[in-house]
Amino acid sequence: MALTETMKPRERVMNALAGKPVDRTPVANPTNVATVELMDMMDAPFPDACRDPELAARLAATGYTELGFDSVMPYFTIIQESSALGCDMQWEEKDNWPTVRMYNPIWKGPDDIRIPPGFLEHPDNIAITRAIEILKRELGDEVAVIGKTMGPWTLAYHVFGVEPFLLMTVDDPDMTMRCLDRLKEISVLFGEAQIAAGADALTFPDHATGDLVSGDYYRRFLLEIHREMVERLSVPLILHICGNTLDRMDYIAQTGMAAFHFDSKNDPQAAMDTVAGRIGLVGNINNPETLYARGPEEVRQEVFRCLDAGVGMVAPECAVPLATKLENLIEIPRAVKAWHESHDE
Amino acid sequence: MPVAHEGLEQEIGYVTKPFEIEHIRGLFEGTDPLMHELAYNLIVGNHHDVDRLTKDALDRDFSANNILDDGLIAGMAIVGIKFRDNIIFVPEVLVAARAMKAGMKHLEPILSASGIEPLGTVIMGTVKGDLHDIGKNLCIMMLRGAGFAVHDLGVDTSADKFIDAVMEHDAQVLGMSALLTTTMPNMGKTITAFEEAGLRDQVKIMCGGAPLNQEFADDMGADGYGKDAMDCVALAKSLLGLEEVMKAVPAKT
Repeated sequence: MALTETMKPRERVMNALAGKPVDRTPVANPTNVATVELMDMMDAPFPDACRDPELAARLAATGYTELGFDSVMPYFTIIQESSALGCDMQWEEKDNWPTVRMYNPIWKGPDDIRIPPGFLEHPDNIAITRAIEILKRELGDEVAVIGKTMGPWTLAYHVFGVEPFLLMTVDDPDMTMRCLDRLKEISVLFGEAQIAAGADALTFPDHATGDLVSGDYYRRFLLEIHREMVERLSVPLILHICGNTLDRMDYIAQTGMAAFHFDSKNDPQAAMDTVAGRIGLVGNINNPETLYARGPEEVRQEVFRCLDAGVGMVAPECAVPLATKLENLIEIPRAVKAWHESHDE
Repeated sequence: MPVAHEGLEQEIGYVTKPFEIEHIRGLFEGTDPLMHELAYNLIVGNHHDVDRLTKDALDRDFSANNILDDGLIAGMAIVGIKFRDNIIFVPEVLVAARAMKAGMKHLEPILSASGIEPLGTVIMGTVKGDLHDIGKNLCIMMLRGAGFAVHDLGVDTSADKFIDAVMEHDAQVLGMSALLTTTMPNMGKTITAFEEAGLRDQVKIMCGGAPLNQEFADDMGADGYGKDAMDCVALAKSLLGLEEVMKAVPAKT
C-alpha cells in the first residue's frame, strides 16, 4: 500500500522526540551526513564549511534537499566550541574531519577552566549559530533544524587530553566532578545560543563510551549532569555516545533526555528492550561496514532491522564517512518508506 | 594452588577460562611473596608501591629479569585479561601501565646493560590525518608489558615515517591504528608504500582501530588485524611465531 505522508518533516521529528504519534518513522541526522560528494555539489568543502556559516548552512541543507532526511544539522564536527576555548586545532582538508590535538592539552585541572570573553562570538561558534539562523529562515517551516553542543565529558577529552583526564577520574574523582561541573556551563552556554538562533532540538554528544569507561562511570560522573542538562536546555536533547553502550542504557534511560543516538555495536532489539520506552532511540545504521563499504540493498536490510525492533528515528550511527556514496544515504529514507508501505495498515 | 596473597588471589579469581587460569597460576607458582605483592600493586595501579617494592626487590638481590617476569609481566597478564573481559576499562589499564612504568624505571638500566634481547621490535603509530591515540597507546602498553621493544611514532604518521622507522630500528612488526573512517584508507596507502619501496617482505604489518575489521585488513593486504590491545599482543607473537612463549623478556624502550 502506498504510504500517505500527512506530516511535514519537522512535525514528524518533533513528534518522535516528544514520544507522540508520527505518520512514519522519521529519518534524522543527529551527528552529520556531510560527504565529499555533497561538498563538491554545493561548493562547500571542509574545513571552510565548518567555519563559514553560509557554507555550513548550504552543506547542511543537502541533508533534506538531496538526501530526503527529515532534519538538517549544520554542526558537522565535535570541535567548534573547543576551538573557541583555545584548543590546538588541526583543521585538515576536504576529505578529513578537523580534530583537536589532544596530545597538546590546554588545561590541567578545574581551576584552569575559564570561558574566554566573547566565547559565543568566536568565529567557530558563530559559524554554527548563524548557520542555524539561515537554515531556520530558509527551511524552518519544513524541516527540523538540529543543533549540537558538546557535553562536559567530551570537552574534558579536548581540554585535558584523553589519558590525563581518564587518569584524573581514578586519582581524584572529586576533582573530576569539579571539572565536569565547570565544563557543563560551556555546554549550556553554547546550547542556549543555538536555541536562541532557532534550533528545534540539540544533539548532546558526551563520549563516555563503553570502549573507554564502564557503565558505572556513566552513573557516577554523568547521570546527574545529564539530568540537569534536560532541566536547563529548553529543547529536546538527543544524547549521543559512540561504541558499546548497552551496559549504561538503563542509566541513560533515566536522564529524561528525549532520545539516545546509539551505535551499531549495540543490537537494536536489545537496546529497545533495555530502555523499555523510557527514552526514544535514534540509530543505528553501521557506518564503516555498511554505509561506506556496501550498497543500497545492505543499507535497506539494516534500516528494516531497526524498524522491526521499533527504533523511533532512523539514522546513521554517527557522522558518516566523508566518502560515503550518496545512493547509500538516499536509500535510508527510501527504505523507511518502503518498510511502512509493507507494514502499515 | 591458591597464592597466599589475599588480594592477588582475588585478582586471579577474575580469570575464568581454564587454560588461562592454568597459565596465570603457573606464573605465580613457586615465586616469592614479594613478587605477589608487586604484581598485586601493579594490577590495582598503586604506582608508588610498585616503585618502592621494585627497589626493595633489587635491594634483596632479586634479579631485574625475575622482578620483571614474576612481578610486573605476571601482573600485567591479569590486567590484560580483565580489560579484554570488560571487568576493567581504560582508566584502570592506564593506572596499571603507570605502575608498570614506575617499576621499569629501576629495571630498564639494568636490563639494557645486560644485553637481553626483547621478544621482538615493533613500530607503532596512528596513520596520517588521524590524531587519536588512546587505542594505539593501550596496545603499546600491553606489548611492552609482554616483553616487546616498541617505538611509538605518535599520531598523524606518514608512510615515509613508518618506512624510516622500520628501517632505522630493524623492526619485525609494524602496527598501524586509525579511529576515523576517513583515515582508515591511509593504512592501505602505507602498505602500498612499503611495497613500492621493496620492503613489504621485511616487516609484518598489523592494524587495528574502532572502525576496522578483519575484512578491511585483508583487503588492504595487512598481515593481521587486532580487535583490542590483548589481541594485538597475541597477533604480534603469532606474526613472529612466538605463540608458545609464555614468559617474556624485557622491553628496552
